[in-house]
Amino acid sequence: MTDALVLLVVVPIAASLFPVALGGRFERIGWFVAAAMGLVHLGLSATVAARVLDVGRISYAVGGFEPPFGIELVADGISAPLLVLVSLSTLGVLAYARRAGPHSNAFYSELALLTAGISGVFATADVFNLYVFLEITGLATYALVASGRSPSAALASLKYLFVGTIGASLYLLGVGYLYIMTGTLNMADLTEAVASVGYSSPAILTSFGLIVTGLLVKVAVFPLHTWQPGAYAESPDTVSAYISALVSTAAGYALVRIIYAVYTTEFLDEVSLAGDALVALASVSIVVGAVLAVMQSDLKRMLAYSSVSQFGLVVAAIGLANETALVGAVVHLVGHAVMKGGLFLTVGVFATGLGVRTVEDFAGLAAKAPVSSAAFAVLAFSMVGIPPAVGFVGKWNIVVGAVEAGAWSVAAVVVVSTLLTLAYFGRVIERMYFTAPEPEADAVSTDGGNETVEVSFGMRAVVVVSAVAAVVLGVLGSDLITVIQPALEVYF
Amino acid sequence: MTDVFSLRPLAAVLAAAVGIVTIVASKRSPNVREGFTVLSAVSALGIVASMVPGVLNGTTYVTDLGTFVPGVRFVLRADPLGMIFALLASLLWLITSFYSIGYMRGLDEHAQTRYFAAFAGSVSAALGVAFASNLIVLYVFYELLTVATYPLVTHDETEEARKAGRKYLAYTFGGGVAALAGTALVFLTTGTVEFSAGGIAALANADPVVARAAFALLVAGFGVKAALMPVHSWLPDAMVAPTPVSGLLHAVAVVKSGVFGIARVILDVYGPDAVGSLGVGLPLAAVAAFTIVVASIIALRQDNLKRRLAYSTVSQLSYIVLGLALLSPAALVGGLLHIPAHAFMKLTLFFCAGVIHVETHTDDISDMAGIGRRMPLTMIAFTVASLGMAGLPLVAGFVSKWYLLIGSIETGQTVFVFVLLASGLLNIGYFWPVIYQAFFQTPEDSDAKPLIEFPIGGVRAVTDGGSKDSVAEGEQYAVDRNPSDHVAVADGESDHDAATDGEPDHDHHHGGAPAGGWERRRLGTESTWFMMAPITIAAAGAIVLGVVPQTAVFLALVQRVVADVTGVVF
Repeated sequence: MTDALVLLVVVPIAASLFPVALGGRFERIGWFVAAAMGLVHLGLSATVAARVLDVGRISYAVGGFEPPFGIELVADGISAPLLVLVSLSTLGVLAYARRAGPHSNAFYSELALLTAGISGVFATADVFNLYVFLEITGLATYALVASGRSPSAALASLKYLFVGTIGASLYLLGVGYLYIMTGTLNMADLTEAVASVGYSSPAILTSFGLIVTGLLVKVAVFPLHTWQPGAYAESPDTVSAYISALVSTAAGYALVRIIYAVYTTEFLDEVSLAGDALVALASVSIVVGAVLAVMQSDLKRMLAYSSVSQFGLVVAAIGLANETALVGAVVHLVGHAVMKGGLFLTVGVFATGLGVRTVEDFAGLAAKAPVSSAAFAVLAFSMVGIPPAVGFVGKWNIVVGAVEAGAWSVAAVVVVSTLLTLAYFGRVIERMYFTAPEPEADAVSTDGGNETVEVSFGMRAVVVVSAVAAVVLGVLGSDLITVIQPALEVYF
Repeated sequence: MTDVFSLRPLAAVLAAAVGIVTIVASKRSPNVREGFTVLSAVSALGIVASMVPGVLNGTTYVTDLGTFVPGVRFVLRADPLGMIFALLASLLWLITSFYSIGYMRGLDEHAQTRYFAAFAGSVSAALGVAFASNLIVLYVFYELLTVATYPLVTHDETEEARKAGRKYLAYTFGGGVAALAGTALVFLTTGTVEFSAGGIAALANADPVVARAAFALLVAGFGVKAALMPVHSWLPDAMVAPTPVSGLLHAVAVVKSGVFGIARVILDVYGPDAVGSLGVGLPLAAVAAFTIVVASIIALRQDNLKRRLAYSTVSQLSYIVLGLALLSPAALVGGLLHIPAHAFMKLTLFFCAGVIHVETHTDDISDMAGIGRRMPLTMIAFTVASLGMAGLPLVAGFVSKWYLLIGSIETGQTVFVFVLLASGLLNIGYFWPVIYQAFFQTPEDSDAKPLIEFPIGGVRAVTDGGSKDSVAEGEQYAVDRNPSDHVAVADGESDHDAATDGEPDHDHHHGGAPAGGWERRRLGTESTWFMMAPITIAAAGAIVLGVVPQTAVFLALVQRVVADVTGVVF
């Protein structure tokens, strides 16, 4: 049964070969390979999740080498829901890509590779292996971003490549320090090894600083976010949705694992600066991300900066070293993936169907595309944190955790972030629903530049499903928490 | 007090929520759509009303939907306090539905499906607020109410409406944020947010600083929708919405959800005893008293009828808050009873303003001289309701005010007695001119309205021997200098403007009497019965509440609430 865990990584890697290999003979085979991969992945992640619900933590030793010497893959209450999220996001994005493209076989190879990398990040229990998967994720993402046809996509990809590589290198350097001091790379093993070296050891402190900074680059927290708006905004809509849902989420998850499994809460207690710095950085990120989002006229850029702000919430909760807040962080990771992925796809529907991409263009959109507009409104209000949608569940837990931890300033920032989020989504919704469209808008979109494609049923369905999922996840939030909580409890 | 598991509280919320779906689904056929509005209003009212006898006998209907967030269950409970609000909202929704149909069709408004769907959504959320069993569930519906009302505020789709909508969202979500923060504090200090009559026991023993902070956050949060000064200014701006919205939502459902939230906080979260011992009741009462007086004074200077009514609402809502903050049993009865009393009266007044708008496109009070000839029944209803507002006997406002007065004397805070009496006089001050000129003046022969037309303190135009120009311009006249001439000049000017404009834009204000004065119409022929019947029923409701308060169900519910909380049986 635990084989499913390794297959979650192996199947997408294997699948990534087929579109390129068979592409010469069958022009459109990529989508079918990817779809088959997605379905198998869903089956595997469901198996893993069922097993985790049944027995709790499950572990798999790669190649039969027992940990701590071999590489260990682990699934527990935190990673299992995220693995299922990967499968569902993949299928959702594929349903969308069927019509919207990109259609090249190389795209589907890269997508499968990205799935493998992200699944690996969620499954691994080895800090060096984590680096490998983060790099697979990163490389696949660079390529995917570059698959946008505009020159600025290439530029964004290059920028991401530079910044992302620096982040990964910092992480690797930190892992090197850890390995020198402890002689092990297995997370469970590191817990005790780090403690025995002593939390005040300069090498350990350095490794913490390097690893966390490296991961924060990947998470895209202000001021390390510079790669992210370009990467999200310039890549094809399908890619934006997929990477916004999963790539930063994977890095955020890695941050949770590294800080709590390797360094533990005792480290945070002893080195109070570590947690405080994270919280301070995150609080700034929440506010600045939202302010930058308000200033954007391009919808995708606005959503990208919104991610900077939202991941600030997650990182703040991680830095608080409080169980309730950490539960909120994981819930918000899942919730944000659903909401932001859905929002990007919705914006994609508007862009493909109607050729609108800026806040200006959104005037009167609700009349032209009522269903997608309603989905956008639901997702946006969910992101604002209107109950009962999932955005509220995460935020509530983070607020309660912050107050429990006595971090009043964080509680205030998180609570106020509701209004900041409202500030950038409110103006879009207002334009969509309550502003008459400019008469010449149609003429502009037809005379070249933006070509529009008929929006398929699949595209519309994915958008609606994600909106429904955001609400349903919120209603079932307490069930999600009962899955996550036992896995997090061990850290406290 | 027995708890009975029942799906009826949930069914009431869903009856209205399902209305959204059916209304949107039947958008192609307006008659079917309006049928669904009425159907869901009737079923919501029926379900709520079916619980009234049980609740009066001490039964509480409970729907438990399981855990929502850890430590908090999603439970709907129909207890006496919730029933007051639910019964009021669902009853007045039914009345307003008919009025809405007449109003929206009378003006041939756009986006009627969105309007009716959002209306059903708002009422559904209001019922959820009423039946919420703890602060979190209350917060959930409180926020949903904000979202559902937003499309109604912005309905006009003009820049002014969008601005009002923006302001509305910013204010109410800001309030929601404060309420959420207060909820989190209560949850952490006591481990529960469950309402219980007389307050959460653990809160009385909590750290007083934290308890006070949580109280301040909660009351400030709910106070935004209750339009306590200084966070009231969204309400007059929201009057840009269609009049039924102003009537039901901005005089009843939305603003009273704020008041209701404060009532829950004082009665069921803290309990009057804890509020008293924390010493937070008196500051709240002071804010309420300030709001009562200042809002009434501002109302005196509003020429737009709906804005004047809005400031009157701001003032009257604080009666309720004042009653709650005074904490004595009689004051609590008065405050809570003022929830339905004000609802019936203010709904009547807004309905009157709306029907005047539909029939004559007149919005400003200065254009309404002699309108009693054109709309006799409307203005009679207006008179009845405004007398009630002022607190004259035989109308609902008197009963609640009587209890409020007794309550203020009971607590020994005589200053509030003077506030209440002064507010009564101010009410007469801003309603009487409307009534007087409607019945006893004509457009050709009407007095100037110094408070509206001149800057505060008068104009120092001619005393210093200024240039002749300033005297020649009619607007510079002092009040006592031939005022009727002045009005005639002003009228002539505006007629001239209208003639040169000549735009057939019916939304734009070009109200006032037609040339040759108002035609005389008989009672009841002034508009369609879709609008006249709701006005009559709402006004009749205000009288019933005033004449036989003991048989009208609201006072019984209020007395039950107060008995549960304080132990004092009336």
